[in-house]
Amino acid sequence: MIFVPLAIGWIASLVLLALDGRRRWVGWLALAAVLGMLAASVALLWEVAAGREPAVIAGGWPGGVGIRLRADWLGIGYAVPVLGIIAALLLIENLRGGFLTRIGPALVVLVSLGLTGVFFTADAFNFYVFFELSMGSAFAITALGTEGRHVRVSATFMVTNILGSVLFLISVGGLYHATGTLDMPVAAARLGVDPFGPPVLVGTLFLAAFLLKLGIFPFHFWVPPVYGETRVPAAALLSGALANIGSYGLLRFGGEVMPDALQAGRGLLLAIGAATILIGSMLAISRQPVAEILAYSSIAQNGYILLALGIGGRAGFAAAYIYAMVNSIGKALLFTTAGSRGPMIGGAFLIGAMSTAGLPPALGFVGKFALFRAAWEGTDRWLVGWIIGGALLAFLYMFQAFQQRFWLREDETHSAPSVRVAIACFAVVALVFGVWPEPLLGAGSQIASLLAGGPR
Amino acid sequence: MNLALALCVAVVFGAGIRLMLDPDLVRIAAGTILVSNAANLFIMSAGTGAQAAGQAQATTSDPLVQALVLTSLVITFGFTALLFSILHAIYRAWGTLDSHEIDRPE
Repeated sequence: MIFVPLAIGWIASLVLLALDGRRRWVGWLALAAVLGMLAASVALLWEVAAGREPAVIAGGWPGGVGIRLRADWLGIGYAVPVLGIIAALLLIENLRGGFLTRIGPALVVLVSLGLTGVFFTADAFNFYVFFELSMGSAFAITALGTEGRHVRVSATFMVTNILGSVLFLISVGGLYHATGTLDMPVAAARLGVDPFGPPVLVGTLFLAAFLLKLGIFPFHFWVPPVYGETRVPAAALLSGALANIGSYGLLRFGGEVMPDALQAGRGLLLAIGAATILIGSMLAISRQPVAEILAYSSIAQNGYILLALGIGGRAGFAAAYIYAMVNSIGKALLFTTAGSRGPMIGGAFLIGAMSTAGLPPALGFVGKFALFRAAWEGTDRWLVGWIIGGALLAFLYMFQAFQQRFWLREDETHSAPSVRVAIACFAVVALVFGVWPEPLLGAGSQIASLLAGGPR
Repeated sequence: MNLALALCVAVVFGAGIRLMLDPDLVRIAAGTILVSNAANLFIMSAGTGAQAAGQAQATTSDPLVQALVLTSLVITFGFTALLFSILHAIYRAWGTLDSHEIDRPE
């Protein structure tokens, strides 16, 4: 059962690689494949919601030897929204006229396959393999641009993220060295009885690797040129889907495998998160082009995820998950909208901007509120003021972006009506989940009890 | 043995980072190759301790780390090929591989 989404992605990407992606129907085939993966993941969600944990050990090996794939609340809670975002982006790209390159559709399916694998694997090294599958495809996607500056930024993106992958690989080696296993729950159990205290060194390496992927403050330098210069659909895919590896990895390795190390690094996480929010917001205010404002804004927004992890506990983990999902949907919407013109686009951008600033009834309010409550119930009340300050700054730069984008230029050719309707529907979905956030909150609370234990 | 491996990893990793700080994109690519292989060396050396937990005197090597390194070598190889093809595209677009030259504002 758990093989189904991966098998669909695997077969579809092999087929798509052989086809010419510039033909319209090949782009639609890629969309069908991603929708198939989404449907299979929703079926798995059903199983998980019924209290089962679908799992399989690859190759028929006995438990503890082979690579284990399993769907738990954390994995499925990421897989379903992320596949949904990719499907929405693919739909809009197809309506816009399809792909301009031969391997474009295959690469998008490969990114989805890699992400799904990352979310379902219970093996630390297998995590690395799937992770590199999606990263490698994303490198190629950014390099597909028609202009020299696109390939230039893809080299930056590739070199910095290879460094992140190397840090991750070293920490997987360290985890294996310390525990003698690669299975995450088994490693967590062995680390739990470690007489030498929390595995701070390995934990720090994991942290550095995922912070680099997320583009958090000391490692944020690569994000603005890459998100700002690459083509808009690619930027939407990177910030809406791929960046989730960072927050997922922090929750999985920090929350599940090394909770003691996460607890030991609380102060560091809070300090880095707070600094990231301040620096990202300040730089976003000082920028003019919309793509650059959005790039700096995604740096700032990821800082909140770090704050939530630093707060920790049930409320903190739930807030980290909810915030990550809200932010992905908002960023995917904003980047797609920034690449379109005409009526309804302004309204969609406004919903995305309200979501980033955390204003009700947009989706972002749910994330901000979860974080706010976690901070209020926790020991560090100063965070509450920081979160409100960050939201005010976000309001300021998003309003500037809106002005820049929709008040200054009205003479451009409009996007096709079908594209505009699709984007408007995307924005309405973001609004609906803002008004009716129960699915998101429910998944967040399930993930929190998975990671932090205790009753629901 | 452990000290020799640790020193080896440190030297390769340090040399890789030094190359990545260079403005020349070919040197940056060479740096990523060195850094990736430092990680592979590290994993090879990580296999020695997991064994020591089970037996006092290790007589066989850990096959799992070798499988891991084999996998990550293949990934490194693929990425290196992709990186060099991107460098080739950059050279065709800009006529140079000096990142200072490329990023100079017009």
